[in-house]
Amino acid sequence: MSEMTNSSLDRRTLLRRAAAVGLVAAPGVSLLSACAGSDDSGDTKQATGTKSADNPLGIDPKAGVEIVIFDGGLGTKYATDVDTPLFNKKWPDAKITYSATQQVSTTIKPRLNAGSPPDMINNSGSDIMDFGAIVKAGQAADLTDLFAAPSLDVAGKTVAETLVPGAVQQGTYGGKPYAVNYNFTVFGLWYNKKLFEKNNWTVPTTWADFTALLDKIKAAGITPFGYAGANAPYYMVRAIMTSAAKIGTEQVLKDIDNLKPGAWTNDAVLQAAKAWGEVGTKYVDKSFLGLKHTEVQLQHNQDKVAFYPCGSWLENEQAASTPAGFEYAMMPVPSVTAADKLPATAINAAAGEIYFAAAKGKNPQGGKEYLRTMLSKEAALEFTKLTKSLTVVAGAADGVTISPGLTSANDALSKAGPDVFVGYLFDTWYKKLDDASREAANQLMFKGGDAQKFCDTMEAASQAVAKDSSIAKFPRS
Amino acid sequence: MRHGKYPFIIGFLVVPLALYLVFVVGAYLQMFQLSFTDWSGFGGFHYVGFDNFVKLMEDPVFWIALRHNLYILIAMPIVTIAIALFFAFLLNVGGKSRGGTTQGVRGSKAYRIIFFFPQLLALAIVAVIFGRVFGPDRSGMLNGLFPDSWSPWLFLADERWALLCIAVVLIWQQIGFYVVLFSAGMGSIGQEIYEAAALDGATKVTLFFRITLPLLWDTLQVAWVYLGIAAFDLFALVNIMSVNKGGPNNATQVLSYQIYLNAFQNSQAGYASAIGVVLFFLTLTFAALTLRVTRRDAVA
Amino acid sequence: MTNLVTTPPAVAARPAPAEAGKGRVNPLNGVAHLALFLWALVTAGPLIWVLLASFKSNTEIFLGKPFSLPEHFSLKTYTDAWSEAHIGQYFVNSIIVVAISTAGTMLLGSMAAYVLARYRFPGNRAIYYLFVSGLAFPTFMALAPIFGIVKSLGLLNTFTGLILVYIAYSLSFTVFFLTAFFRTLPHEIDEAALVDGAGHLRRFFQIMMPMAKSGLISITIFNIVGQWNQYLLPVVIMQGSGSDTNWVLTQGIANISVQAGYHAEWSTLFAALTLSIIPMIVVYAIFQRQIQAGLTAGAVK
Repeated sequence: MSEMTNSSLDRRTLLRRAAAVGLVAAPGVSLLSACAGSDDSGDTKQATGTKSADNPLGIDPKAGVEIVIFDGGLGTKYATDVDTPLFNKKWPDAKITYSATQQVSTTIKPRLNAGSPPDMINNSGSDIMDFGAIVKAGQAADLTDLFAAPSLDVAGKTVAETLVPGAVQQGTYGGKPYAVNYNFTVFGLWYNKKLFEKNNWTVPTTWADFTALLDKIKAAGITPFGYAGANAPYYMVRAIMTSAAKIGTEQVLKDIDNLKPGAWTNDAVLQAAKAWGEVGTKYVDKSFLGLKHTEVQLQHNQDKVAFYPCGSWLENEQAASTPAGFEYAMMPVPSVTAADKLPATAINAAAGEIYFAAAKGKNPQGGKEYLRTMLSKEAALEFTKLTKSLTVVAGAADGVTISPGLTSANDALSKAGPDVFVGYLFDTWYKKLDDASREAANQLMFKGGDAQKFCDTMEAASQAVAKDSSIAKFPRS
Repeated sequence: MRHGKYPFIIGFLVVPLALYLVFVVGAYLQMFQLSFTDWSGFGGFHYVGFDNFVKLMEDPVFWIALRHNLYILIAMPIVTIAIALFFAFLLNVGGKSRGGTTQGVRGSKAYRIIFFFPQLLALAIVAVIFGRVFGPDRSGMLNGLFPDSWSPWLFLADERWALLCIAVVLIWQQIGFYVVLFSAGMGSIGQEIYEAAALDGATKVTLFFRITLPLLWDTLQVAWVYLGIAAFDLFALVNIMSVNKGGPNNATQVLSYQIYLNAFQNSQAGYASAIGVVLFFLTLTFAALTLRVTRRDAVA
Repeated sequence: MTNLVTTPPAVAARPAPAEAGKGRVNPLNGVAHLALFLWALVTAGPLIWVLLASFKSNTEIFLGKPFSLPEHFSLKTYTDAWSEAHIGQYFVNSIIVVAISTAGTMLLGSMAAYVLARYRFPGNRAIYYLFVSGLAFPTFMALAPIFGIVKSLGLLNTFTGLILVYIAYSLSFTVFFLTAFFRTLPHEIDEAALVDGAGHLRRFFQIMMPMAKSGLISITIFNIVGQWNQYLLPVVIMQGSGSDTNWVLTQGIANISVQAGYHAEWSTLFAALTLSIIPMIVVYAIFQRQIQAGLTAGAVK
């Protein structure tokens, strides 16, 4: 028994004293050298070669290039089976070191900080790195020379000239391009074409037609509209923002991106929120707040949900779960009012999926040359075939039939003509605002549809970011 | 007699201490250092004094997260210990009295093995499984068990219950360990004490409160400290199970998850380190306080 | 998993006068059985669900009744998990890493704990509390620094690097637990050996270690469980080109889990989970007695 008391006494004092050790340890901090990411001197030797017409980026033909690809919805085959062989066809002596990851931030961030990043990085997925912060920290290479270089296989054009409008702009931060947004995504509302044909449901273009159709769908025992509140509310944010842009032009979104006071309380945003809030209260199953995107998409495949707001990657993502009676099709978000400034055919289509060359790697020029390879017409076409996703290389997949969903997206794109808009960028620029918008969208869609509250919450969050001097700001024009 | 004592002590301590200093203490000293900087997580930084800590005080989400940590810190250990004690008691002395001796119920060994299962699973795996247990529609394990006439419970998607669901998972995972721990403690209490009490006509309930509990006090205290430390680290559960990053409406926000969000998503590693420092001292203070307070109780 | 549940209760083997108990059924006894049985269900339910889900299609998992039987029984998901997702390879990696690092943790941890528990010297308490304070550190705050440290030692993507980090991060709990344990061991035998002229080393290995066996076993189990389930540390350390052949089991499972999010292969995930759970249950079932004995000795006295 006496031993019992002794050791328990020790245990009592133990953590109390451990606390004291912690206190003692704190002042010792000043003795530490700044080990975390202080090597800004850039003294690591970087590979370069002589610039020539054949070698516009001046790469060292013998220096290896290390690439890291995100292993997600697009797979990795396009890199291993298309881009790398193409690169090596031109530069047989440059060894490509390839690896794939799903934890981009966990694996790459420490390497950036340790000054030994891979040369070309695909920044994507749920563990994505804040690219604004990467640019601010000088970790991304300036891609001006890449975009000005001649295209690999389109004679007489620079790389920039081969891309869809807005593609370079989307990777531009503070006036200079730092990222290739490779994947071209068309956003809209997705449905099962066969289900609609069977029920004689026609694609609505006005809001009144839209809600009338939602009523019909509801009467047929199907949840008319849904999105995954648990991990993908930003799909809904995109739908609301698209409506706002259609009501008041893309300037509404530019003001939001520029953190302009009053941007979120703008009448266009309020009207869009009101219209969608009503859809949320009347046509969305409350349980969707707790579902993940995979779960809602499965329900969609089973015709338990009719409309799903998403980008054109959806069809490929669901390939394994799509039953025979399901054919993906998409429609633009219907016009909210008759006075909408953009036509009903207007759509939001944007480049996404960031690829960048690390500024402090061993071979940044090699990384850029790899990007130039990816931006060739040949690589882009193969990418589209493999992933059923379009690229920013204009017209690369024209005339090639890939899949019904992609065809439908392509049709929408051509019907929209000049009314294709890039959308908003605040989600990649300001993570905190992105988080706030997700929560606000969930509140709007699942908690009573208070549009004014949506606008006010977002306005406050936007102004809080504007006032926070520790967050780098990116102007948009 | 003391010959060779110091060389021996040094020889035994040098390797473990060196490893610990290099990999653990070194890493955490950097955390302390970074809490005084504006480091984004990429590239260089500047020292900003106590700015991060001032910002922390003014951050409403920090206070929400702290409040949730405190709720769980208070409720989770009480519930876990109470349930674990109950089962341990049943397993050890809850059985029939045979010829004057009290014994555990039949099958107590099998129960002990089953109860311990969850402890063997990584919290991340437990979180994935319970995501399905609390599924908000009919395919959810619990909703699937409810009668069809009920409309499905939202569980994690209901801000009133979300935090409770997270706490329940932690309790589910932890109980087995404490059942085994308390069983071991009860097993070491002499059988003759129970027999004597039983002869005096004491009921099972009396046995529990008059004999078992006081003799286990020391073990309970240790359990409380372990559980408290676990209550501060809810990261894996919140990260995997919560609706919309610690939601809905911040209902499942906790400090460890705030550290993660700020460090890895919002590129505010300096600020995240400051939360880390606060969390570190909170954990230590809790442990020290617990041991102190329970000691007074024990004396009284 | 299920056959463990039906293991005949050991109590029944006791030569008990069967008639004696029958007459006076304690009402508490019925309640006790019910409560214990219910909790066993609550505990086993989710695990049985994992087992069922490993045979189901995505649609069955997410849209069907949770405890319905799968439409088709096939071991394909298991062979997929084993060969295509390389769970077999990662399994072996995990065993190698955890075996060596647990052994290392136990050796180094017990050495430190022994010295801290049984010898007086200046700095003893400071070193002890330094170890113990590690229990309060949030691990993921250390991820970026750990990468830098391991890299500067040239140990990235090596088992050595991972093992050293595992050992370092297991020392806090091990030293905390074992110090208390070594303190409770009687001094008499130790002193007798000292009189006999046994050296410090011999006393440690030949007298103290055997005496501490139960405590050592139980803390070994905790270290095995903890290191087996570790995820964040290997993700940071085992990376770079060609690292996927060096991954440990948790990384492999997480990999399938993320893949499932994109390519929808949930049943393979649950098959992999089952494969990773079973060995832990077997180990625990085998060492159950020792763990309990260790807990009694180490934490209660």
